[in-house]
Amino acid sequence: MKFLRHFTAVVLTVAVIVGLGLLWAHASGGGGTRIGSGRGPAFIHSGPGAAPSRQVLLRLRQIKAGVIRVGPAGDGFQFADTRNLIRTAEIEAALAAVVITVSAARRRRRRTRRTAATKA
Amino acid sequence: MAESADPPITGGRGRILARTRLDFWLDALLLVAYTLAYSLGFTGLATHEWLGIGLGAVLLIHITLHWDWVIRTTRKLLRPGGRERFIWLVNLLLLLSMTLCIASGILISEVALPQLGIVPPASSFWRQMHDTTATVTLILVPIHAALRWRWIVSVARRLAGWRPGRSR
Repeated sequence: MKFLRHFTAVVLTVAVIVGLGLLWAHASGGGGTRIGSGRGPAFIHSGPGAAPSRQVLLRLRQIKAGVIRVGPAGDGFQFADTRNLIRTAEIEAALAAVVITVSAARRRRRRTRRTAATKA
Repeated sequence: MAESADPPITGGRGRILARTRLDFWLDALLLVAYTLAYSLGFTGLATHEWLGIGLGAVLLIHITLHWDWVIRTTRKLLRPGGRERFIWLVNLLLLLSMTLCIASGILISEVALPQLGIVPPASSFWRQMHDTTATVTLILVPIHAALRWRWIVSVARRLAGWRPGRSR
């Protein structure tokens, strides 16, 4: 019961954030579907009930027919491109190392200060 | 991430609490899933999109499990004391960026949603939003994890059956 209550609160919070994002998109005029360059409107504002544009449907058909390859190298894990994964892990590890170093240094300083105060 | 400043890890006789175990493995899963999802070149677009959607679902459970901490810390925000407030701010920014990252990812989906028969209205706004929030999330995720590194080390040690001062 408690889990359900908390889950509802979380879903509501997330919905508010997404709603604010949609408002932002609407305010900046970027929430619609781009239909290419040229004269006329650059965007069609497509709400939840709106039909997808011809361009979108064409792209979908091309994906299904395999004309457009999705992803940098198709589907599934690309073990030839592990460098990409390693780079992400390196960035995360470096940032975490900085935070841990600062945190450990602050903790040591606090302890030293506390020990000095006890001795005094 | 870990609940409160340092929640109880063990129950009677030093056994790890089931809740601690769940938190630990769920957090590990989220970290690995995000690292994989960010590496688009490694996963390919289809896996990237499905991972992102799965990540969103697990994230909801993760926040639900720590909702008590959110409420408690939010109430204590006006009191002096910097550390918890800093963690709260990092977590709030992470919630915002990750939510917008996943939502924008869904809105620009080219494989996962079309496979389900839904064609989202992709636009350059959401594409840019996705790129920006993904980068912000990449910075915040390791900070979020590292701020609880003592809890992580402590649970990992116990899970591995290693205790300080005990020779094996």
